[in-house]
Amino acid sequence: MEKSSHRASAGTGLKVFFTIVCFSLSIKGFSADGQSYKEFIEWIEKKPPEIEVSNQGTLLTIDDKDDILNALIPSPAWEYYIFADMEMTVVPKGYYPSPPSWGRGSQEGILDENGVLVGFTGGGFPFPKVVENDPLAGQKVVWNMLWRPGQHDFDMPMTTWLRSENGKLDRKMEFTGVSSTYARGEKCLVEGYEEVKSKRIMEFRSPRDMAGAKDMSISYVDHYRENSGWVYMPSQRKPRRTLASERTSELMGMDLIREDMNGFSGKIYENDWDYLGKRKVLATMNVKDNPEAGGPHLWVPHKTRWEVRDAHVVLINPKDSDHPYMARIVLIDSETYWTLWMFGFDRKDEMLLRMNQHYLKYSESYALETPQQAPFVEQDYSKNVGSFVFLHLGESDINAKKPHGTVTHCYTRKREFSSARARQFYSLRNMVSGRR
Amino acid sequence: MPTKLNFSVGAVFTVLLVLSIDVKAVVSIGKDIELEGFLKVQNILRTPKFKEAEAIMQRNTLQLESKYYFLKEGQMFGKFDSGPIEEATLTLVGRGVYDSIYEIRNSLDGKFSNDNGKQGLYEANLREGYLDLVLPPFSLRIGRQQVVWGETDGFRALDVINPLDLSWHWSREYWEDIRIPLWMVRGIYDIGKFSVFEESFFEAVWIPADFRPNKIAINPSRPWAFTGTGLAKTPNSIFIDGNLRDLELDVRDLSPRKRLRNGQGGARFKAIWGDIDFSLNYFYGFSADTGVRVRDDLSSTLGNTHTSVRELVNPRSHVVGLTANYSEERYTQSVLRMETTFSTGIPVKISPDAPSRIDPDRDQFDTARRTVLMLAVDRPTWIRWLNPTRTFYLSSQVFWRHYIDYSRFYRGISSVEHAVVNGEPVGGKFFSENNDQIDKDEFVITFSASTSYGPAGLIKPNFVFAIDPRSTGAYNKFGLDYFWSDHVLLKFEQSFYWRAAGHDPGPWALGDIWGHTTRNSRHETALSVVFQF
Repeated sequence: MEKSSHRASAGTGLKVFFTIVCFSLSIKGFSADGQSYKEFIEWIEKKPPEIEVSNQGTLLTIDDKDDILNALIPSPAWEYYIFADMEMTVVPKGYYPSPPSWGRGSQEGILDENGVLVGFTGGGFPFPKVVENDPLAGQKVVWNMLWRPGQHDFDMPMTTWLRSENGKLDRKMEFTGVSSTYARGEKCLVEGYEEVKSKRIMEFRSPRDMAGAKDMSISYVDHYRENSGWVYMPSQRKPRRTLASERTSELMGMDLIREDMNGFSGKIYENDWDYLGKRKVLATMNVKDNPEAGGPHLWVPHKTRWEVRDAHVVLINPKDSDHPYMARIVLIDSETYWTLWMFGFDRKDEMLLRMNQHYLKYSESYALETPQQAPFVEQDYSKNVGSFVFLHLGESDINAKKPHGTVTHCYTRKREFSSARARQFYSLRNMVSGRR
Repeated sequence: MPTKLNFSVGAVFTVLLVLSIDVKAVVSIGKDIELEGFLKVQNILRTPKFKEAEAIMQRNTLQLESKYYFLKEGQMFGKFDSGPIEEATLTLVGRGVYDSIYEIRNSLDGKFSNDNGKQGLYEANLREGYLDLVLPPFSLRIGRQQVVWGETDGFRALDVINPLDLSWHWSREYWEDIRIPLWMVRGIYDIGKFSVFEESFFEAVWIPADFRPNKIAINPSRPWAFTGTGLAKTPNSIFIDGNLRDLELDVRDLSPRKRLRNGQGGARFKAIWGDIDFSLNYFYGFSADTGVRVRDDLSSTLGNTHTSVRELVNPRSHVVGLTANYSEERYTQSVLRMETTFSTGIPVKISPDAPSRIDPDRDQFDTARRTVLMLAVDRPTWIRWLNPTRTFYLSSQVFWRHYIDYSRFYRGISSVEHAVVNGEPVGGKFFSENNDQIDKDEFVITFSASTSYGPAGLIKPNFVFAIDPRSTGAYNKFGLDYFWSDHVLLKFEQSFYWRAAGHDPGPWALGDIWGHTTRNSRHETALSVVFQF
């Protein structure tokens, strides 16, 4: 592994001066640490420098802050991701093909007047080519993200650490998500369920006050139809119907709202859209293992593998004036359509409110390097190889205003349900009883 | 005795301290066994009319829950092919309780006695123990368990399969902890999608021979004894033809014995029809509420003592019900719930002066038919000035109970009063009377709100309000849970009972029956420490 060679940026001095001025004047919408909406837009518009990356990996440290890190880490995240003893190993951009059958038999997507994808049933990207000057490019990128390969079909035990500043651990939770894609293009996983896009069941294991709580969610091909959901609470010993259309409350004490999941999990028609072009950005694209937590608050990945990726930058403005965000900016990998970074800006002062950043691993890498097992269950990861999809290994979610952070590790195993097993497992019958 | 108390309290806190140092969330034994549970120290201070205070509970509960995954993905013990059985687990839940308040109060004022077979002092039992078998499309749960049907919270219509233990803290606990688990078989056949239905299944429950009634404490020395609306005393006298006699009760328990012919069972079909999640339910069992048949024909008077024979009966009961819920996402952003039942075999008391056409057996007892309709709404709601980052979960329900075979001679809650002869109270003599005419239609309205604050949502306030609009009796609870760590939970609860007007106790055991103006005021403050793992 090589240490990065520093190449001084011409504008470094100017940037420092600008930063000091902003801080001194306390102008609304500007901050000393790049967390304002305006500063982030400026960051997006700047062309970053090309960096040399060795095949063995190039180590970036705090010494690379001005030349490389500030240019390739989104400005709202600088405060958390650039720290004294940081170590990022940047490797050359990888090649990650989709499954061989991906897109075969899948039809091109059609958007209605609200930008909503209609008549599409999966099996490929709805918009294999997104043209930058397309006025609907933002929506199309997000539709590709929502229908990307590897979105579902896994067993995913997870551990989540919820931490205050200075790494104080407030809560640790263990839970498992299991999900399956139903809409697969020409065929549906379970015949007769063609209206279903995917189904998911998530069950908590600890702490004990949440143990056994589980929820089932059904999402539909028709984007206008809200998800169906039930939650089983051991204290009640029966399932309870849940509401899907409230998406802006923080979840389970974590530093994200339901709409933040995967960067954006809301309704297309509830927002205005702008495509801001492509931007090079550092991403934990194909990490070796679930990264250790670092930074002053243990909120971010540390000593892990990064790549410089080309990302679509999509600006999402909620139409609802009560929405906590005045704007959400999502950076989505331009080849794989996985969300790399998400930033939500507070409606009150246009400063960063929440952000998330995702750790991914390509399924074929499991043949060479196996990530750690979940602390509470051992799985056979060898089945991941041959899937040709990315697997989610976790994420950092930060609430900048509290401030507070949530780090999640996912221990993902690809799982293909048979039609019969899916019919049995993802059923309301499975929600009438639980761990206790 | 104080030494014993100090030892027990000290031991509990020492265990808490030691265990909180480093304990895993769930203890795994090998790959297939998991152990979890909690130790709860619950202290309740009763503040009658807010004029005085008395400790009524110092309950220490240890619950251990284990699960053994002995069959996974068609492999038993990881070695043998299990044929059609895809998964199997064994769950055991054991609970031990020690309430030191009986020791404390005995040593202080003797008011709370433990001479009643030490009931309430110790408890140790296997609460639940069942085998889960998954044989798609069947699933079976066999053993001692809880089964809950229906959509109602906090009141019972379809949720009648397991009785409740109301003896130690009425219904003011999580019902998971006060339901009395029964030995039964629960089978579910998953149907899935057919015709216009989705997510459908058929469920059957069979309780071969394990009937238990709701458990209520009547000994006034128990802190949560149900003593009616009068004095917290046991009646020891009776007026016979205007003369005061000593009363001796000959109570004969005629509740169903553990025999197959006393089996109970039911079935339901649950499905989704056009986004409406509904179920059709039927249960054939026994009323868990115990009725009292007064057998004057067997009673006798010898000297000044009248021996009254009372039979405790739990009539056979049919319960037919319909439930539905619907998530209305567009206009109200609410989940709407509904439950309605028709029940037979409801035991009711009849006034002694009822005419023979109402009480032909002259036993002051009858069974009635009753309907229930419950309508509810749940809504996650933003109240941003109170909580800018998380919604409040608001839930409200209206519960309407209607007697089909109503008689104005039906009676509700009895009361114990001082015996008065010639205008003078007779010392040490108490008699029971029942002037509480129940209503043909009974209502209760509930409202609850909860949210969370702080980093990781560790501070969880909650509020409960229930009111009977006819009697104007109401109940309020303010609660606050604080998770000091993943293992230690601190709980605070303040309960109030009150009424707006009148003296009607109402049928729901809330309101002024335990409120401010009666002689049985039960406002209370509860502080609990829970160590969970």
